[in-house]
Amino acid sequence: MMRITLNPLTLRKLQRFRSLRRGYWSFILLLGAFFLSLCAELVVNKRALIVYYEGEYFFPSYGAQIPGDHFGLGYSYETNYRELKRVFHQRSEGNWLLLPPVPYDPYEMDYRETDSTGFSPPSWESRHLLGTDKTERDVLARLVYGFRITFAFALGYLFLTYLLAIVAGSVLGYFGGKVDMFGLRLVEVWSNVPFLYMVIILVSVMPGWWGLTWQISSLLLIMVLFSWTGMTYYVRSAIYKEKAKDYIAAAKVIGAGSGRIILRHLLPNVISTLVTFAPFTVAAAISSITALDFLGYGLPAPTPSWGELLKQGVDNLRIAPWIVSSAAGALVLTLTLVTFVGEAIREAFDPKKFSTYQ
Amino acid sequence: MDKLLKISQLKVHFPVKGGIWMRPVATCKAVDGVSLEISKGETLGLVGESGCGKSTLARTVVGLNEPTTGEILLDGQKLGDYSGNFGKGNRKRVQMVFQDPAESLNSRHTVGQILEEPLVVHKKGDQGERASRVKELLNLVGLPLGSVTRYPFEFSGGQRQRIGIARALALNPEVLVLDEPVSALDLSIRSQVINLLLKLKNRLGLTCLFISHDLSVVRHLSDRIAVMYLGKVVEIASAEELINNPLHAYTRSLIGAIPQANPNVHGKFSVLSGEVPSPINPPPGCPFGYRVGSRFYTESIGQSLDLKEFSPGHFVQDCPCCVI
Repeated sequence: MMRITLNPLTLRKLQRFRSLRRGYWSFILLLGAFFLSLCAELVVNKRALIVYYEGEYFFPSYGAQIPGDHFGLGYSYETNYRELKRVFHQRSEGNWLLLPPVPYDPYEMDYRETDSTGFSPPSWESRHLLGTDKTERDVLARLVYGFRITFAFALGYLFLTYLLAIVAGSVLGYFGGKVDMFGLRLVEVWSNVPFLYMVIILVSVMPGWWGLTWQISSLLLIMVLFSWTGMTYYVRSAIYKEKAKDYIAAAKVIGAGSGRIILRHLLPNVISTLVTFAPFTVAAAISSITALDFLGYGLPAPTPSWGELLKQGVDNLRIAPWIVSSAAGALVLTLTLVTFVGEAIREAFDPKKFSTYQ
Repeated sequence: MDKLLKISQLKVHFPVKGGIWMRPVATCKAVDGVSLEISKGETLGLVGESGCGKSTLARTVVGLNEPTTGEILLDGQKLGDYSGNFGKGNRKRVQMVFQDPAESLNSRHTVGQILEEPLVVHKKGDQGERASRVKELLNLVGLPLGSVTRYPFEFSGGQRQRIGIARALALNPEVLVLDEPVSALDLSIRSQVINLLLKLKNRLGLTCLFISHDLSVVRHLSDRIAVMYLGKVVEIASAEELINNPLHAYTRSLIGAIPQANPNVHGKFSVLSGEVPSPINPPPGCPFGYRVGSRFYTESIGQSLDLKEFSPGHFVQDCPCCVI
């Protein structure tokens, strides 16, 4: 009898959350921004959205590169669509193409005809809406792709820390006694290993020949490994509180085993308390990854990241103030929205308001 | 009559831990040498005031606490081999109804899920059979069939306790332990639930251990009544006999505490005051004589205070200060 119906209690909590305007709209905004950033290739990209060339349509946003020969440009590397647009315009043979609103790639160094020295200020004509950085990479493109990776990273971090904390916390809380006594001491010892030092040390010995994906996922694992303990205490004490209630005794009398009691009875009742912490965990993850990037021990080099932008911006504050202001602005905005969501969730999930037990 | 459930010399002691090292510094003798027998189809009422160990006894019978010494036999088979055999086979034969249905039903599960769970745990039947059993149970306790998809907190207290009773009956238990099943309910609903229990008992031939602090509730349902005081049984007799001819002073004061409908009628016995002595550090002699300051208290010190058969089937603690 597995039906996916929402408990009316959960529904009421969600309704309450929706009625908290500020948090609800922050949530919509954040979620929207994240989904938009997931298809950032359509908004911020050096590749064109649509190319119409000699009666044929091309959609180069995703998939393999299309060499310049294809559009009669006379080179076999990837087409430069901004140049192609100019060419189409000059020839006016009825061919056309549509560029994304920001026609730059986060990795692309846009050295134009002038011998540029980097740090072009924001301008509408060149379409660098927030200027460029030291190597003429578009700041807005790096912000958008940086947001995508940071947010995905934070969600992965949230999932993994919760997974570890829930497993450890329920084992400690449910079995209690000696398991709890020794297990909790281990957790305490582990939580006293300094997070930042360990991450910096481990990241700096990470082999450079690993692929980017490998490096990013190991960074995630390292960060999770040295910071999951905080949530364990909450899970443990929540389980302790719940397991003393009679519905657990009733489950035992029925003959339910430990696994069933933890998974079907305890966790559903504990999880609503944990949801409250989720936005704050996300905020913490965003700030730590940015801090690590700033120090140079975060995401590996060409990956667009906010910390790296902040670092550049701070180093070149006088020459290029637009870098630090956009990166800091984006960071502050995101963290504020996440915090608003967190506050609203905390209020909506207030256990004092929605308890069915006395 | 064959005895279905036999509790012999049951002691349940809890260590009281203290100090930095949490070493046991004392023991709380919640149940201290209780022997009871319940025949098939019989209901034994167990009364006593708060803190006398009734609930501990109930929880030990269903396996939620471990007995310190003594044993519980079901049909001559030992219950309470907690290391392994107590598992599913025997456990389903003894089920329990809890005091507060608001807390004993998981509010995250629908009524259907709650009633189905015992069947799932014991792998009884397929999905269709389980669903029809759930309907049967709802009929049995008089709840609408539409309750299946609803959640416990959508019901009133009395209805919730019906769900709790239905869950306890799901596995066709032979012994039903009812731990103050109506104490958390409003007075108006209480009688409905008591009538339901009477009906179920007669229809299903249940053997019940009915626990309550309220003698007026117990006398409706029980064939025999045992009175417990500070971890010990002080008097057992048939319900009729116990109410009409109480021998132990504590039983008398419990009867005195039953409210009378007519304010001008004063009961035969006086109402008791004071507190039960601590089960951690009980007085050396008879704990009841100590509490009421009986002038025969000193005589009880050093006595074994065992149950003695005063008339056939009427057992009373043989205590110089309480049985006069």
